[in-house]
Amino acid sequence: MRTRKAISVALSAMMAVGMTVAVPAVAHADYSVSEIQVNIWDNNQLQGLQEIADEWSAESGVKVNINVVDWDNYWTLLEAGASGGEMPDVFWMHSNTAQMYMENDLLLALDDYIAADDNIDLANYYEGIVDLYKSGDKQYALPKDHDTIALLYNKAIFDKYGVEYPTDDWTWDDLVAAEKAITEAGKDDGVYGMAMNTSNNQDGWYNLVYDYGGTIVTEDHKSTTIGSAEGKAGMEKVRQIIENGAPQTIVAETGTDSLFNSGLVGMITQGSWMINTFYTADNAADYAWAMLPYADRDGNGQCDEGERQSCYNGLGWAIKHDAADPQACYDLISYWCGEKGQKEQAEKGVTMAGMKSVSEEFANAFEGMDVSAFTKIEEEGTLYFRPYTRNTTVWEDALQQLGCFLDAWQNPSDPAIMEQACDNAQNIIETAIANE
Amino acid sequence: MKWGLAFVAPTMIGLIILNFYPFFNTIYQSFCKTGDFGKGNIFVGPKNYQAVLAASETWQSLWNTVKYAIIEVPFGVVIALILAVFLSKKIAGVSVYRTIFFLPMVCAPAAVAMVWKWLYNTQFGLINNIFHTKTEWISNPNIAWISIGIIGVWSIIGYNMVLFIGGLQEIPGDYYEAADIDGASGIRQFFNITVPLLSPTTFFIVQTRIIGALTVFDLMFMVMDKTNVALPKVQSIVYLFYQYAFTNGNKGYGATLVIVLVVFIMIITFILQQAEKKLVYHN
Repeated sequence: MRTRKAISVALSAMMAVGMTVAVPAVAHADYSVSEIQVNIWDNNQLQGLQEIADEWSAESGVKVNINVVDWDNYWTLLEAGASGGEMPDVFWMHSNTAQMYMENDLLLALDDYIAADDNIDLANYYEGIVDLYKSGDKQYALPKDHDTIALLYNKAIFDKYGVEYPTDDWTWDDLVAAEKAITEAGKDDGVYGMAMNTSNNQDGWYNLVYDYGGTIVTEDHKSTTIGSAEGKAGMEKVRQIIENGAPQTIVAETGTDSLFNSGLVGMITQGSWMINTFYTADNAADYAWAMLPYADRDGNGQCDEGERQSCYNGLGWAIKHDAADPQACYDLISYWCGEKGQKEQAEKGVTMAGMKSVSEEFANAFEGMDVSAFTKIEEEGTLYFRPYTRNTTVWEDALQQLGCFLDAWQNPSDPAIMEQACDNAQNIIETAIANE
Repeated sequence: MKWGLAFVAPTMIGLIILNFYPFFNTIYQSFCKTGDFGKGNIFVGPKNYQAVLAASETWQSLWNTVKYAIIEVPFGVVIALILAVFLSKKIAGVSVYRTIFFLPMVCAPAAVAMVWKWLYNTQFGLINNIFHTKTEWISNPNIAWISIGIIGVWSIIGYNMVLFIGGLQEIPGDYYEAADIDGASGIRQFFNITVPLLSPTTFFIVQTRIIGALTVFDLMFMVMDKTNVALPKVQSIVYLFYQYAFTNGNKGYGATLVIVLVVFIMIITFILQQAEKKLVYHN
């Protein structure tokens, strides 16, 4: 009896010692926390980001725990956390919601930390992304990455139906012609030239609106020109793409990516954040990227300024306003966003950098697949920032549904319906902005 | 007295924190133009109600929800009752059958919806493949609501069946023996003994399932894409609530939609309670 008691006392004592010793052994002398909780929404990036974070952990002794929550639930969870005071320490911000979080003081203002940090100079990053995460002259997030759009095509389908591959000199008219040829030749196989859904906005029809001189949201974020003649001209070209491509009901049920990976669609437009999905696909050897086509508005046969545009967006690394150890959190995001971290992020093919002049590393990240179309458009085309207002989702969702562009997607052969949809879109965006 | 209170405290505290407080808060929010993150609510009186009641999509969604209930409740009850009667008999492997029919209940609703989504797929779906059809099960607004209803029926049969089996065991065997001696057929016995004596169970199932069906959300959310053309003809009122409250961040409008649904369910429940006195047979 006595021995048993002695053993249990000894064991508990060991445990108690273990607990008190273990914690300070891990934590760095300068930091008051031993672990940082991070939330992101993209599983494709988890591994790469964790590897970079582990390097930082090795230096700092602070463990970095990254959780992936899918896009829809990410925002529900973050908002609930913000309301209840239980946010993760470090997390991604996006143009759709940044304004709301910044105005409600839920994010840590980073200016003092940036000023004291040699690793970060905001002038080295894409201006649109830096500005996005600025509110009332304060910086609330560091630019994590940026993304552009390109045209993805399946060489096997082009070969099969004897259609020339897309080139970087294509206009949208060339695209429609090739698309039509594939759809007609592939009728019996159920193969379509192209697929685009109403939800492919940033990676799809937004770009045509800008190529033809329209805007989704004007530069002051107060209005739109989607209902103008230019906006309608862009959407008219979109209508021709849909008319000659996969019907919307099929696209909505199966999804453009699945259709493409199943070899039923010759081309889709996609964002750089999706490269990895196609790089690791079964038929990746058949896939190739080209620059987005341009709109030859003046008909001079060459791509002039503003005729080839790609939407770009960038995530930001943000810190919750009441982080237990803001310096530790900041040092972590500074590691991710500094030159070393940004280069590593590009080399690992996680995403393109938020920092300028590291495009090269990313273009070389995917051995055997040429992804230079994403970086080339930065020099040979124009980048415009992803349209956003204070509460983007309200109009962004409405645009994709019945009463707006879904009407036109359902009846692609009737130009009048597309024109009406543009007018409706003008109205929807203006009303939504007025209600913000 | 003290001990009594102590024993009910866990339940009461749970109810107050998790049910009553949110309920009254929802009512309060339905009269507000809500600010971001639960801060800065502005009282606007019945404005939200005017907007909700004037919107045609509210009534369309309410009608969609009722249509879903019209499929799920009757079919879910009748099929489950028939199965329960068969599975109450002494047949070989009865517990295996019971398990099989109850399995959908054990599966995560999201997983169930994903599997059905692909079964229904126009191009690659198993259903169209077997029948060599090209039916747009979930994209044709005239069919989609039925397709969704079928998933609901399939998911709930097992649960209803287990309740019915429990109810059937309560019925004394004497009645059937007497009926046998009198020469009543199996079908006659079913309608004259089983159905009336099972009516308390049936009523319980019908009532809870109506409420369950009126609050359906996950099926539409998981099976139908946001850009699905049939969505406006299928989305339930809770789906609409989710769209406004969480996607668009308009909590006040969302709260109003929920209150409208609560009032609707209360009216239905009241009618059912009145009907119970006439329809349910008590020993």
